[in-house]
Amino acid sequence: MLRVENVVKSFDDFTAVNGAQLTVADGALVAVIGPNGAGKTTLFNLIIGLFKPDRGKITFDDKDITGLPPYEICRRGIARAFQIANIFPRLSVFENVQVAVFAQQRQSRNFLQPAHTLARAETNAILESAGLQHKARHIASALSHGDQRILEIAIALGSQPRLLILDEPTAGMSPEETATTMSLVKQLAQTRGITILFCEHDMDIVFSVAQSIMVMRHGQTIIQGTPEQVRQNRQVQEAYLGGADA
Amino acid sequence: MVKALVEPRWLVATGVILIGLLLIPFGAPLFYIYILSVIFVTALLAMSLNLVLGYGGIYQFHHAVFYGVGAYTVALILTRTSLPWWVALLAGPFVAAATGLIIGWFCVRLTKLYFGMLQISLGSLVWIIVYRWYDVTGGDNGIHDIPMPEWLTTFQGAYYFILAVVAVCVGLMFLLIKSPFGATLQAIRDNPQRCEAIGINVRHHKLIAIVIAAFFGGVAGVLFATLERSVFPGLLFWVLSLEILVMCLLGGWFTFAGPLLGAAIVVALRTVASRYTDYWTMVLGIILILLIFFLPEGVMGFIQERAAAKRTAPHPQRVEERSGS
Amino acid sequence: MDPSAVISLLLVGLARAMILFIVSAGLTFVLGVLRVPNVAHGSLYMIGAFVAFTIATAFGQSSAGFWFALILAPLVVAAVALIIERGLLSHLYQREHLMLILFTFGLMLILNDLVKLIWGAEYRSVTPPEILDGAVTLFGFNIPRYSLFLLFVGPLVAVGLWFLSNKTRLGKIARAASVDREMVGVLGINVSWVFAAAFVIGCALAGLGGALVAPTTSISLGMDLTIIIESFLIVIIGGLGNTWGALIGSILFGVSQSLGLLFFPQFAIAFPYAVVVIVLLLRPRGLLRSAW
Repeated sequence: MLRVENVVKSFDDFTAVNGAQLTVADGALVAVIGPNGAGKTTLFNLIIGLFKPDRGKITFDDKDITGLPPYEICRRGIARAFQIANIFPRLSVFENVQVAVFAQQRQSRNFLQPAHTLARAETNAILESAGLQHKARHIASALSHGDQRILEIAIALGSQPRLLILDEPTAGMSPEETATTMSLVKQLAQTRGITILFCEHDMDIVFSVAQSIMVMRHGQTIIQGTPEQVRQNRQVQEAYLGGADA
Repeated sequence: MVKALVEPRWLVATGVILIGLLLIPFGAPLFYIYILSVIFVTALLAMSLNLVLGYGGIYQFHHAVFYGVGAYTVALILTRTSLPWWVALLAGPFVAAATGLIIGWFCVRLTKLYFGMLQISLGSLVWIIVYRWYDVTGGDNGIHDIPMPEWLTTFQGAYYFILAVVAVCVGLMFLLIKSPFGATLQAIRDNPQRCEAIGINVRHHKLIAIVIAAFFGGVAGVLFATLERSVFPGLLFWVLSLEILVMCLLGGWFTFAGPLLGAAIVVALRTVASRYTDYWTMVLGIILILLIFFLPEGVMGFIQERAAAKRTAPHPQRVEERSGS
Repeated sequence: MDPSAVISLLLVGLARAMILFIVSAGLTFVLGVLRVPNVAHGSLYMIGAFVAFTIATAFGQSSAGFWFALILAPLVVAAVALIIERGLLSHLYQREHLMLILFTFGLMLILNDLVKLIWGAEYRSVTPPEILDGAVTLFGFNIPRYSLFLLFVGPLVAVGLWFLSNKTRLGKIARAASVDREMVGVLGINVSWVFAAAFVIGCALAGLGGALVAPTTSISLGMDLTIIIESFLIVIIGGLGNTWGALIGSILFGVSQSLGLLFFPQFAIAFPYAVVVIVLLLRPRGLLRSAW
């Protein structure tokens, strides 16, 4: 479904990504791991169009999406939840998701109808699957940190993505919140058939959830394979020097 | 659908106010009718700015350009051509919107302070053309004695016409804010990066908002020309643009009615203060600074905060109100 | 078109650019260190001009009077700036940009009317000192002595500012504070006074600009409005907080206006604005690096 080939990206003198490769199959749960500074977030930013790669190619469904603007990439079916909760603080939880649904339905430029009558069913469905329906009327900035991260994902779902990219979805979460979030992620993959690509520092999660793992170091791909293959790989072991947790 | 769109008590309040406004010319002195007309026009101008400023988070530092362009369009058409008055009045907002499109197209590539400064430069270019093109625009003197139909030249006639147009425009702006377009605009204000990530072409959206704001600003300009029957370059000067910003701030720019209130207060104060002092500008400056120190959410914002504080635990419906206006 | 007349015109434009530079340098200095876009900067320039007038008149508009005015006017403006900073501005540094801009706008309104209150609405003038009066012929070009003077003072100020920023302790602290205020505070330095000093210096430059411009033009109430827009645009195209950027921007501004006078006198003042538009379209962040 998604293929990243030999992608390179530099900022001034610093090469963040230096020949990364990634393959994400339809319906899979893929994780990207690597030490801090390996280039994982930059890679994700390249995929969703925040930056243009200096070299290399990114294709989605066999169509070249390299260098397209973020809104165009979203319209093709790729959505992203950010590492730091990137929500709309002054809007309610309901409105946060609704805006994404509007965008997906190409209703953003509709100025003839009142917003609160439209897209209710879709928005409520997403809020329910994320477990946020009871907080629909709350102002987003008033939510707890964990709830905001879930809202993050809910907003991304509003775009009806086929590929969902999660940047460290459980960073800074308590064990309960982590469990809730990961069960939500698994449920999305299984019941909704959404392909998931995520990066994480928590190795327990990665190895228990991911079907395919890509390991990065110094901006390059060391290996991509099943959890077993990755565990056995010598280079990976060296890269982590025995310590895997962030 | 209007029932669910606006709370019943607001609807009633608006109705009462409108009826009151309709009745005023039947007893009030002509001067008050004139001042109210000025307030309506200024309120429309301030609210048109707030469409992009408060709801879009766009640093529209030179909104007065669209106001002036609307006014000058009417003036030029009615004094230079023999086109009928209603053509002039209709043309004004569209020329203003076109100006908004051109200026906006250049400016949306930038954000925040840079957007504001580029807009000021482009707007100042327009001002210079109006100011210096003596032969066409009358330069520093402006254009006076713009011919208007008989019924529009009386205080009452102008009053009702302006009230009607402003009421319609305000209604339209309200519907706009409550629509998906408005919701998306506010989302762009709060987090443009996230909007891009959910598939919104932020630049496009902002540009459309700017054009709409310019349109309504142009309507205000047209109404000004109708009321005063003269135009002058000061209508396009950047100081006026900042004054409108102040009105939005004073009233409360995260609210819908805030700019209206701000405009009313500023016009009223200016009228009163000008009788007692030559230094209204200083008074305005002092008010502005006091505002920034003590009332940054503006008058409306302050009222809303007080009202919200009076309630106890967050009730779902009330929380929705706060986010809704 | 007489080439020597053109050169003279350009030199005069360049001289005018020096005043623009001095004023813009002050604005960009404040912007770079405090991150405050000071809309009242033009008012301080105007106050500098009016104060220069008062001092010069007190000395009977003599040559000595001019020199006294040149030294004292910026000091007066500096005092005013100190009062403003300590009394009001320093309480607002945490607020968002737009609030600071509007605050300084309010300040501009107040100062504008204060000038009207104190000096009235008539036009004033200052006579230049004898040695700077009249014109001189250099290499066949006719150039006013005062313009030469300005062409000398401008670079002097530039060098002085560079020295202040890079070689003095205050300058280094100021530059560090603009990037990371908290860190500098942690190091035990009273950041608050650094900011005050920076603001005062920036405003003093505006006052100096006003005193310098006084003999060349009529001193009037609208001075602040034109200069502030011009300075802001220069600062934007030069790069926020960048003194050399302000120099380049001012030269572009002054020279393009002179060229405008040559080719299209009626719309000469549009030329600099057009240049600004072009620069902003090609390099929206300014020609040189911004401080932040």
